[in-house]
Amino acid sequence: MTSGVVVKVSGPLVVATGLPQAKMFDVVKVGQQGLVGEVIEVHGEKLSIQVYEETSGLGPGDPVVSTGAPLSVELGPGMLEGIFDGTQRPLDVVEAIAGSYITRGIDIPALNREKKWDFVPTAKVGQKVTGGDIIGTVQETVIVEHRIMVPPGISGEIVEINQGSFTVTDTVAKIKTDDGSIVDVSMMQKWPVRMPRPYKEKLPPMEPMATGQRVIDTFFPVTKGGTACIPGPFGSGKTVVQHQLAKWADAEIVVYIGCGERGNEMTDVLLEFPELIDPKTGEPLMKRTVLIANTSNMPVAAREASIYTGITIAEYFRDMGYSVALMADSTSRWAEALREMSGRLEEMPGDEGYPAYLSRRLAEFYERAGRVIALGSGEREGTVTVVGAVSPPGGDLSEPVTQATLRVVKVFWALDSSLAYARHFPAINWLTSYSLYADTVEEYMNQNISSDWKDLRAEAMRLLQEESSLQEIVRLVGIDALSIKDRLILEVARSIREDFLHQNAFHEVDTYTSLNKQYRMLKLILTFYEEAQKAIDKGVVFSEIENMPVRERIARAKYSDEKDAKIFDEIEQELKQQIEKLMEGGKLND
Amino acid sequence: MSTYKIAVVGDKDTVLAFKSLGVDIFPVLNEKEANFTITKLAKENYAVIFVTEQIAKEIPEKIAQYRNHMIPAITLIPSNRGTLGIGIGEVKKSVEKAIGVDILFGREGEE
Repeated sequence: MTSGVVVKVSGPLVVATGLPQAKMFDVVKVGQQGLVGEVIEVHGEKLSIQVYEETSGLGPGDPVVSTGAPLSVELGPGMLEGIFDGTQRPLDVVEAIAGSYITRGIDIPALNREKKWDFVPTAKVGQKVTGGDIIGTVQETVIVEHRIMVPPGISGEIVEINQGSFTVTDTVAKIKTDDGSIVDVSMMQKWPVRMPRPYKEKLPPMEPMATGQRVIDTFFPVTKGGTACIPGPFGSGKTVVQHQLAKWADAEIVVYIGCGERGNEMTDVLLEFPELIDPKTGEPLMKRTVLIANTSNMPVAAREASIYTGITIAEYFRDMGYSVALMADSTSRWAEALREMSGRLEEMPGDEGYPAYLSRRLAEFYERAGRVIALGSGEREGTVTVVGAVSPPGGDLSEPVTQATLRVVKVFWALDSSLAYARHFPAINWLTSYSLYADTVEEYMNQNISSDWKDLRAEAMRLLQEESSLQEIVRLVGIDALSIKDRLILEVARSIREDFLHQNAFHEVDTYTSLNKQYRMLKLILTFYEEAQKAIDKGVVFSEIENMPVRERIARAKYSDEKDAKIFDEIEQELKQQIEKLMEGGKLND
Repeated sequence: MSTYKIAVVGDKDTVLAFKSLGVDIFPVLNEKEANFTITKLAKENYAVIFVTEQIAKEIPEKIAQYRNHMIPAITLIPSNRGTLGIGIGEVKKSVEKAIGVDILFGREGEE
């Protein structure tokens, strides 16, 4: 392999010459330590290389060697429960070898080469297979069965397939391709991160991804295979929302990318997830989670790679037929990494110094989400749902990253610093947020939860909107100017806000609410509205309605046990009785 | 559009006298009854509702509810047991609100 030389070093950017065979996006090893870098610009003789590690000590004359392959990730058993850096180095192994901080140039394979996995073949000798077909399974964790697929692009007849314990690099099957050559298939495949994995067909997302978060599921739902973004000023709870989604989202696999945020946040995830029990499977949440950590103190260029590494892993599980949820926190840091590289490349800057191709890159990333029919026989349906946090400086949503993101994603959860300041969490503003999947999801909910879901949601939304316009009147002329009906609207809207939308992420029961319970809770509040209206029409005064004892129970309904379905019937019963009591007596002279 | 009507709401003894004037009378026994009656009358094209002070002092919230409404106008009247002074107080407040100064009862140097 020929070796080039470094001619210029500028932070993570290294310019080298003397490697005529190097192509765009090839991985190169820079310097004596063999720092991993990627060719991001070819200009005649000169190659611009973004180096994924700290470049101090590098200088002109240092050697550069091309590996001739694009930046790839290793896909196979051993990724779940793992934590990797942006270029898929296993951080737990790195720690065991090198201590708390990553040593430069350390070269560790992503997947453990020694560990043996029990491979159970599902295909037989003589069977014709094509890329994407499942040839066997490995029980990777208690809850996730890792399905070993024929790598895309290979097809032919299985001539040998073995059962037993193998490492990820051992050959488990041999395939005789159509041209007569024999291809060895191992449990691991490599895939270049910048290339979306192929699928047979893309389908429109239909089914909601239940997250257990009331404001999200009821008002601004995201579908399996959908895209969502959470922009918000700092301190408004982006990370908590992301963590909540990673914990409770109704997905079989969760990929969490910590990109350029604080290391402690990843520590939280690492400490909490093994303790938390998945309500569906009864096993620790960590068993279905892959973590990619590229925290703020790690090299900036690797942030750019971390997003791609994460989504490629997500796509791999999608191809097995799983529903995957990917959280990226935060895409702003990723865009800043792009900006830094762009600046050092002396490219013409766009808005706020971001490169002109920012929105294309963001779109490329979000476009890799979706609900697809996977390659191979048997109509396997898999989904990748992408939720990206955006951290606009100063909470200004008109900045380029937020705007470019909003153009491609279909769900917008606007975090509001004034709500966060008022201790309303999750601080998702119900007036400015939107979900373009709402119509699709409403139909699903009408069929699967209750036929009046759509009406309830619309009614609750109307009350919240009315509240905001009434609040303005109150600010101008005082509460006394409102009619009794308007005051009831304010009261019910307050109840929706405080008893329904507000959700405590750290309360053991309140942290997760099933769709059914959400429906019952909302139904309860709106039943109160309906009954109270009747009472007011009859002539019951407002203070009596306001002080009904049952309202305390409505407010506490969110803390009721998930399994205790009867409690809602009880409260509804009590509500009706108390309203009845207010309305009886006082015979009318007709 | 039918013409507006006048109602009197109060204890039986007081309202009975109004019957001779030809207005509709609605004797009530307790506050709940009064609340319901007034609400019902408000919907039934009664433009002026006279309520006795004795009843009115029990149902301030209901009286307040209609204060900013043009129709019905709720006017407090003394009952057969004499006046409590709330009715006249209300009139005084209304006048003050309307023209800015109390021309009915206020004397110079007072208040």
